Amino acid sequence: MMIDMSGLESAPSLLGVNDELSGGFLRAPSFELPSTIDFDGFQKEAKQTLKHAKGTTTLAFIFKEGVMVAADSRASMGGYISSQSVKKIIEINPYMLGTMAGGAADCQFWHRNLGIKCRLHELANKRRISVAGASKLLANILYSYRGMGLSVGTMIAGWDETGPGLYYVDSEGGRLKGTRFSVGSGSPYAYGVLDNGYRYDMSIEEGAELARRAIYHATFRDGASGGVASVYYVGPNGWKKLFGDDVGELHYKYYPVVQGTVEQEMIEVSGA
Amino acid sequence: MTKAAIHVPPKGGFSFDLCRRNEMLAQNGLKPPCSFKKTGTTIVGLIFQDGVILGADTRATEGPIVADKNCEKIHYMAPNIYCCGAGTAADTEAVTDMVSSQLQLHRYHTGRESRVVTALSLLKSHLFNYQGHVSAALVLGGVDVTGPHLHTIYPHGSTDTLPFATMGSGSLAAMAVFESKYKEGLTRDEGIQLVSEAICSGIFNDLGSGSNVDVCVITKGHKEYLRNHQQPNPRTYVSSKGYSFVKGHTEVLTTKITPLKEKVEVIEGGDAMEE
Amino acid sequence: MSIFEYNGSALVAMVGKNCFAIASDRRLGVQLQTIATDFQRISKIHEKLYIGLAGLATDAQTLYQRLVFRHKLYQLREERDMKPETFANLVSAILYEKRFGPYFCQPVIAGLGDNDEPFICTMDSIGAKELAKDFVVGGTASESLYGACESMYKPDMEAEELFETISQALLASVDRDCLSGWGGHVFVVTPTEVIERTLKGRMD
Repeated sequence: MMIDMSGLESAPSLLGVNDELSGGFLRAPSFELPSTIDFDGFQKEAKQTLKHAKGTTTLAFIFKEGVMVAADSRASMGGYISSQSVKKIIEINPYMLGTMAGGAADCQFWHRNLGIKCRLHELANKRRISVAGASKLLANILYSYRGMGLSVGTMIAGWDETGPGLYYVDSEGGRLKGTRFSVGSGSPYAYGVLDNGYRYDMSIEEGAELARRAIYHATFRDGASGGVASVYYVGPNGWKKLFGDDVGELHYKYYPVVQGTVEQEMIEVSGA
Repeated sequence: MTKAAIHVPPKGGFSFDLCRRNEMLAQNGLKPPCSFKKTGTTIVGLIFQDGVILGADTRATEGPIVADKNCEKIHYMAPNIYCCGAGTAADTEAVTDMVSSQLQLHRYHTGRESRVVTALSLLKSHLFNYQGHVSAALVLGGVDVTGPHLHTIYPHGSTDTLPFATMGSGSLAAMAVFESKYKEGLTRDEGIQLVSEAICSGIFNDLGSGSNVDVCVITKGHKEYLRNHQQPNPRTYVSSKGYSFVKGHTEVLTTKITPLKEKVEVIEGGDAMEE
Repeated sequence: MSIFEYNGSALVAMVGKNCFAIASDRRLGVQLQTIATDFQRISKIHEKLYIGLAGLATDAQTLYQRLVFRHKLYQLREERDMKPETFANLVSAILYEKRFGPYFCQPVIAGLGDNDEPFICTMDSIGAKELAKDFVVGGTASESLYGACESMYKPDMEAEELFETISQALLASVDRDCLSGWGGHVFVVTPTEVIERTLKGRMD
């Protein structure tokens, strides 16, 4: 089986192989394939035994001022909540963010790998990589592993020479350019809020509030999403974290408890 | 209205009316539970010079979870007969209850003490009828007019008559003790000691068994149920203070307080109403 | 996914000094989707006897209706309320009747018996009773609840402290379970009154 291992190679080949510099630590070893007849089946099984961070809500959208990226922070294994404080928005570089949905390890590894590649591109070409280029690097890697059990659903959002950029990339090899995406088990609920409240000419405050609300409503309805709603904004000067609100408190901020019903005594007529 | 349309309390026996639906749910990918409460158990019994001694551990499990740390596995069958149960907890409970009531009715009818073989036949015929689907593995012991008896009954309905017997997941550990130390004509204290040792062997070497040792000694015309005869696994991790929460710590949305009416005592046979 | 995890639930009952408390979460879901956040899992049988039914909601409701029916027949015949022990035997018998095609329910029963002696009990879906002196748990959050109750429970608590303890145990446990939570519902029953409270909890 031929697999494109270029994704694991740290140095792009056009740099030329310099063993002095890239020797040892830079040359990441390629994965060894297990000796099994049904390789795809093996991968699928291996994945299912270790599913983690399956349920998620992430979203991103482009508007007048730039790109807004938001996500929840829950990691679950089946019904068990294994963490309420996962960083699902991965900072690739100061101008680019990736979101995490699907397998936590797959997303973290390949985003870190993408970060390396983006930096090397910068060094080789003396200019930052475009969002389109970065997302394509990732998509090509994921495509080469297609059907082998990787589970990644990510959005690459950033700002480059052409302005704001937003791409959706998944482990099936798909890569879509768009202005509005949501990924994960809570995405139907997030889309509902997002589509309803979205306008292109929003201010940053309005955009951040919309993103936060969409995440909040998704965490309310989706059992596998929750924790903290974090909101990032990417503008011409790079990304900035705007919110990191605990959803447990956010609910009672959006829907304050109506006081007065607290102490209600009901006394029955005694000795009837 | 026809009789079938009214939901009258059923006469008894199993009802299979949810089987089709549950099968449908299973086909739609909703797994039916495979872990009913089990007594992954060590149960033993032996014959000593004056009668029979039964023993059991007290752990009940639900899959990997210890559901009950101190359950009772030695079931009453008749005043002179007791029965240890291993396997699915609901089955051992139901099958021993059912047979014990049949024995009681039989005693009312005949006016004689129940015999161990009667209980044995009732149990094995029920279990055989259900072809092992009623998963109860039992150690039956008692003393009747024909002397002391000890039997094991397997879920499929087969039985053994033995001087010493073990059952359940810890049966091998317990049998190792019996095989090396059992002899005929043990005294009461020796018997209890050996039974406790066998159960402890199950408790410490089998993961499905644990907690305490229950023992039941049955002799001619007398029985003694020694609940928690040994407690080799006391709780060691309890803190002296524990957690304490001040009143009003928990945030409450609504409260409703309903006072309960005093129960009115009706004195019977007081002033009878005159006709 | 197991059929017990289809709707999601968390149930717990605790014994105090001459009183008991029974608590549940308020979520009704269809797998991961939350349908309602004001669902009632605990039902009253009579003034001093409550039953909570964890597991598949459709079976919980059907079973509850059958139990109320049987309890009413008992009241008509005997002109008194059932003792909790008797009621537990009734539930067990109804569940075991369907040994080979069970209701996918795990009942948690709590009541005050004669002399206001508290009684709690749980069963598996085919009616294997588990009597406890301290606390019993059920539902998808049962494993977390076991842990919380083992450490938080103390014997002979008064009604107010019992309420705080059971509430904290419930809220702590459902925060580690995707399928239950969204607030809580607590009943504390003493010989003289019933205190029913809804709890503020995380809504995710």
